[in-house]
Amino acid sequence: MTSKQNILSEIRKHGRQPIEMPSFETLSPVRYEDCLEQFVVTARQVGGRVALLEEGTDINALIRSFYPEASVIASSLPFVEAALDPDTVADARELNGTDVGVVKGEVAVAENGCVWVPQTMKERAVLFISECLVIIVDRKDIVNNMHEAYSRIDNPGYGCFISGPSKTADIAQALVMGAQAARDVLYVIV
Amino acid sequence: MATRHSKAARLFQKNREKAEWQDNTLWGVRVKRDRMAKSLDEWETLRDMASAIKKHTVTNLDVYLEQFAENAEKNGIIVHWAKDAEEFNETVLDILRSHDVRKLVKSKSMLTEECEMNPYLEKNGIKVVETDLGERIIQLLDQKPSHIVMPAIHLTQEEVGALFEKELGSEKGNSDPAYLTYCARKSLRDEFLTADAGLTGANFGVAQTGEIVICTNEGNADMSTSVPKLHIAAMGIEKVIPDYRSLAVFHRLLARSATGQPSTTFTSHFRGPRPGGEMHIILVDNGRSRMLGDDLHWETLKCIRCGACMNTCPVYRRSGGYSYTYFIPGPVGVNLGMLRDGKKYHDNVSACSLCCSCDNVCPAKVNLSEQIYAWRQQLRDFGKEPMSKKVMSGGMKFIFDRPGLYNAAIGCSPLINAAASAAGYAGLGLWGKGRDLPEFAKESFHTMWKKGKVKNDK
Repeated sequence: MTSKQNILSEIRKHGRQPIEMPSFETLSPVRYEDCLEQFVVTARQVGGRVALLEEGTDINALIRSFYPEASVIASSLPFVEAALDPDTVADARELNGTDVGVVKGEVAVAENGCVWVPQTMKERAVLFISECLVIIVDRKDIVNNMHEAYSRIDNPGYGCFISGPSKTADIAQALVMGAQAARDVLYVIV
Repeated sequence: MATRHSKAARLFQKNREKAEWQDNTLWGVRVKRDRMAKSLDEWETLRDMASAIKKHTVTNLDVYLEQFAENAEKNGIIVHWAKDAEEFNETVLDILRSHDVRKLVKSKSMLTEECEMNPYLEKNGIKVVETDLGERIIQLLDQKPSHIVMPAIHLTQEEVGALFEKELGSEKGNSDPAYLTYCARKSLRDEFLTADAGLTGANFGVAQTGEIVICTNEGNADMSTSVPKLHIAAMGIEKVIPDYRSLAVFHRLLARSATGQPSTTFTSHFRGPRPGGEMHIILVDNGRSRMLGDDLHWETLKCIRCGACMNTCPVYRRSGGYSYTYFIPGPVGVNLGMLRDGKKYHDNVSACSLCCSCDNVCPAKVNLSEQIYAWRQQLRDFGKEPMSKKVMSGGMKFIFDRPGLYNAAIGCSPLINAAASAAGYAGLGLWGKGRDLPEFAKESFHTMWKKGKVKNDK
């Protein structure tokens, strides 16, 4: 007997009377009057920064204004001026040393500052290895809560909800931004 | 009942300053959790749903596991099944050897602790690097986690500073948490870039989509799996959930319950290998199917490992993670230890004041304290009923069965007032430790009633 058969037969042997899946109808999840406003509040609470891109403003100029010292920008977005492209690097390690990574988020969540970033690039390391991360979000894609978010997303193989910069409190419970991944996250809302 | 837990707790309390810091800090996390819970009108409905979804899933576990494995395989993931810790460790080693892996970076996984995977791999020549900061600290100290979410909660920043000075060459005497975190970041960057494989746990396995979901604040699970090409995920079979609808419920509860955050920073969904990479999932039973058959305790399998029960527990906060004999401490650890091996881990059932606070914070509504109470009633089954309790309850039964003797005993009780202080009550028995004996009345109610001394003044 394979281990798979062994485990499944043990489960059936000890198995219990099946219990029904609950109905989701009793749940009325939080909604906000203004999702954009709430998203901005929550995104800041989780340590992120937020910039609204006004019509007619160049996104590259905006990124430069937030990161004037950045020398290496990595992005596979065609409209972003970048020195490195996660689609064309031969190996993820080449992205080490990136100052600013720029990616596009598909769904933003007002209740917790999460933005869904699916892997649309060859090397997703850009999301984590960059010192700072810029996530571009369309204001039409901001939803109230995770229930709405999960009903909208699709995962192409890898995808991540990112809520602010990498953080830790593992030393004496003191909150520090920039544990292993980006130390700074800027949400650009277009 | 001087259990191994109570003895260790006394040692922990000797360092009053540290004990007080831990108590206050963990209570602070509980307060943050409360703030999150109260900010959502639907909080209690979410808890009810999480409990119901888990009950549904574990009572249909075979169906969901098969669905999960089938869909994961369709996604190009290689799925393995391991009936116990030994088979799990061997499977990991086989995969690593077939890829000539010498260095493995890993994110936090309580399952790998349970299976004692790290020492097994190290013994077989694989270098294992923990990448969660707290886990890395205790790995460098050759210690075990003292909390499942905050593994290094028992250490002060000065202790971490001294460790990093020795291991990572940090500045002498600098114990600033931001500085130390930066030193670890630099050192771990090197490890990520030179590792041959990454290993992670799994917070959830989604049956409908055949993917695993991992929640971290540091991004270390993602760093571990976005540089090396080989990803191995270790997943306990009870981690499977039906679909994205269910995942939304658990996602909303997990970080709010664990640390009082609205979400972990990263919620990573792995539905297949990276371009040009390889992904394995190892589904581990290691006793879980047997636990499912325990009529009194199967609901412990609903646990999502948030650690909220530890933060709220007055005993955990005042005794520390190391006072428990099972590797998972706190209320859920008491229960998991008993399910694992009651003969071995029975000491921990004393670590509960039955205040029921854990039951009220658990996001999956595991009735932890009720189960601990039930385990205490079952101690006799393990031959572990404490002798003192056996003698006491045996003696009481003898007296309560004999009204004459009972009355005579009550008549003598005022004598105890003098006798107890003379004997130094607190030093006599274990029950007396930390407790004062109430003064016995000169006359019993029974006698007063007979003499007509009890009057209704109304």
